Formats: sequence, C-alpha cells, structure tokens
Amino acid sequence: MEARIDLYPTQTISGYSVRPGRALPYGATLVPGGVNFSIFSSVATACTLVLFEKDGGAPLAELPLPDAFRIGDVWSITVFGLDPEAFTYGFRIDGPNDRGAGHWCDRSQVLLDPRARAMTGRDCWGVEPNPDDPYPYRAFVAPEDFDWQGDQPPGYALEDLVIYEMHVRGFTRHPSSGVKHPGTYAGLVEKIPYLVELGVNCVELLPIFEFDEFELSRPNSQTGRLNMNYWGYSTVGFFAPKAGYAATGAAGMQCDELKTMVRALHAAGIEVVLDVVFNHTCEGDHRGPTISFRGLDNKTYYLLTPEGFYHNFSGCGNSMNCNHPVVRELVLECLRYWVAEYHIDGFRFDAAAILGRGAHGGPISNPPVLEEVATDPVLSKTKLIAEAWDAGGLYLLGQFPNYGRFAEWNGKFRDDVRDYLRGEPERAGLLATRLAGSPDLYEASGRGPRASVNFVTCHDGFTLRDLVSYNTKHNAENDEGNRDGIDDNRSWNCGVEGDTDDPEILALRARQCRNAMLALMVSRGIPMLLMGDEAGHTQRGNNNAYCHDSEAYWLNWSAMDKDMLAFARQAIALRRRHPVLRVPAHPRSDRPGALGFPEVSWHGWQPGQPDWSSRLLVGVFAGEFAGQADVVLFGWNSGWTAEDIELPAAPSGYAWFAEINVTAPTAAREPLGARFLIGPRSAIALALVPLDEGGRA
Amino acid sequence: MNLTISPSSHYALAAVSGDITHAVSPQFQESLLGALASHPALVLECSGIGILTSAGLRALLLLHRAAQTDGKRLALAGVPQSVRDVMEITGFWTHFAVFESEDAAAETLRQPA
Repeated sequence: MEARIDLYPTQTISGYSVRPGRALPYGATLVPGGVNFSIFSSVATACTLVLFEKDGGAPLAELPLPDAFRIGDVWSITVFGLDPEAFTYGFRIDGPNDRGAGHWCDRSQVLLDPRARAMTGRDCWGVEPNPDDPYPYRAFVAPEDFDWQGDQPPGYALEDLVIYEMHVRGFTRHPSSGVKHPGTYAGLVEKIPYLVELGVNCVELLPIFEFDEFELSRPNSQTGRLNMNYWGYSTVGFFAPKAGYAATGAAGMQCDELKTMVRALHAAGIEVVLDVVFNHTCEGDHRGPTISFRGLDNKTYYLLTPEGFYHNFSGCGNSMNCNHPVVRELVLECLRYWVAEYHIDGFRFDAAAILGRGAHGGPISNPPVLEEVATDPVLSKTKLIAEAWDAGGLYLLGQFPNYGRFAEWNGKFRDDVRDYLRGEPERAGLLATRLAGSPDLYEASGRGPRASVNFVTCHDGFTLRDLVSYNTKHNAENDEGNRDGIDDNRSWNCGVEGDTDDPEILALRARQCRNAMLALMVSRGIPMLLMGDEAGHTQRGNNNAYCHDSEAYWLNWSAMDKDMLAFARQAIALRRRHPVLRVPAHPRSDRPGALGFPEVSWHGWQPGQPDWSSRLLVGVFAGEFAGQADVVLFGWNSGWTAEDIELPAAPSGYAWFAEINVTAPTAAREPLGARFLIGPRSAIALALVPLDEGGRA
Repeated sequence: MNLTISPSSHYALAAVSGDITHAVSPQFQESLLGALASHPALVLECSGIGILTSAGLRALLLLHRAAQTDGKRLALAGVPQSVRDVMEITGFWTHFAVFESEDAAAETLRQPA
C-alpha cells in the first residue's frame, strides 16, 4: 500500500528522478520506490551525492543537491529507481578550506557517509587496498530486516557476568581451530560450545566497527611480514560491521552474518559486549587521510587547537569532539543502532576519559555525552563499561562520570593482584581490598562492586602465561626496537626468562596461572578473562601485539594446555555455583553473613589474625541466599614455603571442603580437619558444607 | 535469472538458474507464488543458482512464509554448496526443508505433511 502522497519525483538531476529528501533519519534509508539520503555539514556551501556501481570504478553519476534540498545544515535527497544491491555512494562537500581556521572541505574528495550501515573497501581481510582507487570506501544500503526468531538478550545482572575478552579473527583463524570459516563471525558460531563449556556468559569483542587493517601498515624487518592494525582500534565506519570478519563480506552480507552470530550466542546464553572506540577516528592527524568527518565538518567532529591542529588525547592523532551536540547525537544514535538492530548487550568504551573532555580538551564535570548515554531509553538495560583513562593523562578510575550506569575496567585490580601474585611484600591488605570489590574506589559513591570489571590480563599487555614467564616485555617482533608497549608489567618469570624445560619452574608457572584465575573468579565485581588465558596462550613475551596477524598470535587450538583449561572451567564453575562470590555489595566485617560468620572476615595463620604485611591472606565470605547459607574461604599463599594454617572453626553440623586446591588439583573431596596446608605460591577455595548424620557431606 | 515452472502430480516443479538479486526478486517471488496458488506443494530446483544475494535470500524466506500461511509445502532441492554456505552463515538455512534432489523432495512430498 502506497499511503504516502509524496512518493513521486519532483525533478530530474543528472538523469535520476529525485525529490527533496527527508532530513531524518541521517544516512541512506530505503523508502518505497527509492532511497533517501541525508547528511549533516554546518560548513558546506554545496553538497553532491555521488553514485557508483557496486564494484566501484568511476562515479556513475553526480547529483548536485539544489539549495531547496537543504534544511538547516542537513542536506537530503530521495532518489527513485535505485536498485539497493547495485549501487554504492558517497558525498562531495563544497566549503571552506582554511586549515588554520580548522576547515578542511575539499570537493575533490568523495566522502564516506558517517552513517554508512555497510561499506566497501575492506570486505576481505588482508586483501591489500588498491592505492590507485580514489574511492575505496563507499557506503551501501544493507537490508535491516532480520528474522530474530524471538531472540531475547539474556539480560544477566552485571555481577553474574563472566566476560571473555576476545578477537573475532584471532579466535578461530588458526588452522587448528578446525572451523569451516576460520577467522569470521561464522567461525565464532562454530566454537560457541567451547565457550559454553568454559562457563563464560559474555563475550567482549575487540572492535568490530569497520576499520582498515592496513592503516599505517609497513613491512616488518623482524617478521618479514606486514605490520597490521590487527586489533582495530581505529574506526572507519561507526555503523558498519567489519566486513573482513564476515565469511560473506565479499558478498556484502556481513550484517546478516553478524546478526546470526549474536542470535546464536544469545541462544547459548552468552551476551555480546562490543569494544567501541569513540575517542578518535582513523583519519589521524593533519597528515592522515581524509575519509569522512574531516572533509564534512572538521571543526564539529574533532577537538582542535587554536591553531587548527588536532588535539591528540587518544595517542592516535586526533580526538573526537564527543561533547559537541552533533557528535553526541552520532554517538547516541550509533549505540542505539547496535542495541536495536544487532541486539548488542553492552559496550566497553575505549579510552573513555576522552568522552569526559569538553570543547577545549579539558575535563568537564558533567559531560553531556556520558549523561545522555547513561539515561537513554533504548540503552537503559545495556551494559556500559568505561576504560576510565586516556592517553592524554586523564585518569578517572573510581571517579568516571558514571550516572550510576558505567562500570570501569579496574586497573588497580590488575596491578594489585599482579603484585601479590609475584610475591611483592606487604600486599595482603591491597589484595583484600580487591577481593572485596575495591571499596576504596566504589564504596563512597555507593556504586559497589558492579562498578568494577576485574581483570588480571587483557588484550593490552601480557597474556596470563606470559605474565608468569617474563620479567620484561619482548616486543622486538613489533619492529620498534622494543620501545613500544608498557614497562609497568608487574610480572615475574618464576626464575627463567621465557621458555624453559625446568619442571619446577613449569610447575610453578602453572600454579601462578591458576592462582590468578582463581583470585579473579572469587573477587567481588565482574571478572573478565582474556581469550586464551584459560589454556596457556602465549605471545612469547610480547605485551603489545596489536600489529600481528599471524599463526604465532592467533589462538592455537592444538597447543592448548588441557589441564589449565580444566582448571579455568572449575574456577568459573565455582563462581557460578556460589552466590556469595557475586554479591553486588562490598562485604562488611560488621554485618552478619551466615552460620555465625560476618559477610567477610580476614585471617592469617590463625583465625581472625590477618597479617597485612605477609604473603598469606585468608578471606571468608558468607551470606544467605534464598534461605541457604553460602560460605566460601579463599586462601592465597604467595610465599616460597607451604603454610600450615588453622581454619576458622566450622559451625556444628558443617565442615570445610576443598573446592579447589591449586597444589592438589585431584585431591579427594572429603571433610577437612582444623588445619590446612596451603602449598607454596598456591591458592585454595573451600566451602562450608552441611554434614549429614553420618558425618559425610 | 531463468525460471521454468512445470506442474507435476503432487507439486509444481520450479527450476531456477542464474543469479537471484534485488533486480529479479520481485519477478521470482511473483512467479513462485503463482505456482503455489495452484498446487499443494512446490519443489524449487536450485542447482543452477549462481549467486543468491541478500534480496534473494529474503525473497526465498518470504516465499516460505507465504507457503506456511496457506498450508502449502515448499522444498528446496539441489542447493549448490556455495549457496548453502551463505544460507547457513546468514541464518536462513534452517527455515527450509532441503533435499538433495527433486526426486528426494518428491518422495517426501508424497507423504502427508
């Protein structure tokens, strides 16, 4: 039924039947009989729609928009008779080109629509771009209809998540993955059973907004390969899924493939969080390419110095002007789009402190973009996680403007757990604080452990195995003279730097990996583990592997440490089995928990006598859940010798049982006596279990 | 795209070849809906399909839904592996009753639904 009375062309431009378009929504939208295009520029004096064949080549047609097609600063046009599968498009903008004043308009450039829902240019991962193609990035209209088959996001409480931080391509690209479509969304789907068995219930994907893996690529003299932008923290298209991650990218079906992946993950009870990069774009600084924003409206989209140069709070050349109303709208619309169209469950905001900077680059107290994201109706159930710092030195851990919504990547958890793990002295108190959900950071504001995404490792830095195998970074393969990557690793190699066949060192490293995994899983807050850490993945000491797209860095399924994997499953299962580990409040020692134990109590060699200067800490966490007591003891000895401790007395009718003992993984499960020997550099988790009349659990 | 429709005792047989794209999908849908209107079942012989685009996939799914609504049966036969791959990856595959050949489809269609 064609109920509208305005679905007819009013004129012909360059041979196409057109009419003044609708200003909203922005971007290209299918309308009956045609396609509506709309784009913003506050500086444009003219705007031309440029149409191409699907496969590119020279422009098919250029349609200059008459002034009458402009409402405010928005240019729009409806073009009739376009086959949505047969064309791609871009825009030319006429306007000021005065770089000292911050204007970069240049009508010789064909610009990418910032609202491109799908685009060309990078549809096959690793296929080198043609340097002679002046129009590599062209947007096209992707169908938005999808049969979700009743998909419902799992909607877990934040504290119930176990996040798995992963790289879509690196997860299955290695030949050993055995999947039909390696390195793709479809490949990930084939490995969902692995994730389910591991026990994680949320995947956090490194950037999947379209980016150019060849950005700043260069021959690497160390590896003989090209350095790539493998991680993808450099967005080209905020609304377009990375086509090179789709097995069907070459056919332009990346949107359907990604939606199918999300649907399959949800069906398996796994939420999907996207790592999103709003702090900068791929256009870099004044030496970078003009792809979209710079040529559309440079001063609106970017933070500029008074001289017209780019502020570089991101460390990547430019900084988005996130609190400008127009950019805020872009950010909000983008997030809403991913939630509404792709059923995404949450976002992790890369270098999110930049979103707290105002027009002049300084931090502002009430950043509107963050308030709007936090209070947006579409995003009201969406998980929001901030990396609460940026490369410009703004460090907001514990103070990120959160509006009760944003959790934070807890860098202090990482640092303090690493320090305790490597046996630094006098760290027991800090460990206790981290186990309790970091009340030093989140109690006064009332945010609680839900604000704390706990992690020991993430994509940025050592893998867990490397954390216990290297004292210093070994980034020579990055071909930057080992200067890149951070030096503050708080790692310990257990006696030998790197590979060894010394069985004692290998056994110690194995225990250290397990200690860290267990500490992560018993801590209040939201645990996040890095892809591969559950199975001993190594980058051979490289702590900044952003540039390597190769077998040596992809997850190697045939080299998995099966014992470590079994342990990780056990540790995650422990967390999921014990609600006391997931309470969304900091435990207090002056509030009753269960069975005579307070919510938390700290111990050392003797019950009730923690030694904060030691390398031994025992914490007991207690609570009642649906009328059932749940009491878990976590003990961690980071010293060289085994420690014989007296367990806090079990109440009558109960006994302590070992749930996990890093030193003795296969010990029989039986009621424990009054004392327990915690092995050297080992952690344990015990639980109180009621005894039946025969004295057995 | 080339589409030939021939009636059979229990079903209409439609053999399609070439690319099913946005440009041809309206005609594709209309012809097959017409065939379904006068038969209890339709076997779509797909071995000649080259490319099935997003629009082609959607045309197939809409056809499937129309058949369901009218209590008709739709079977796909001889789907090339490359087309099958795309249908699986994009989540369209599981909707359809799929058979290796027209004969296998016909065999099943002879049984009551």
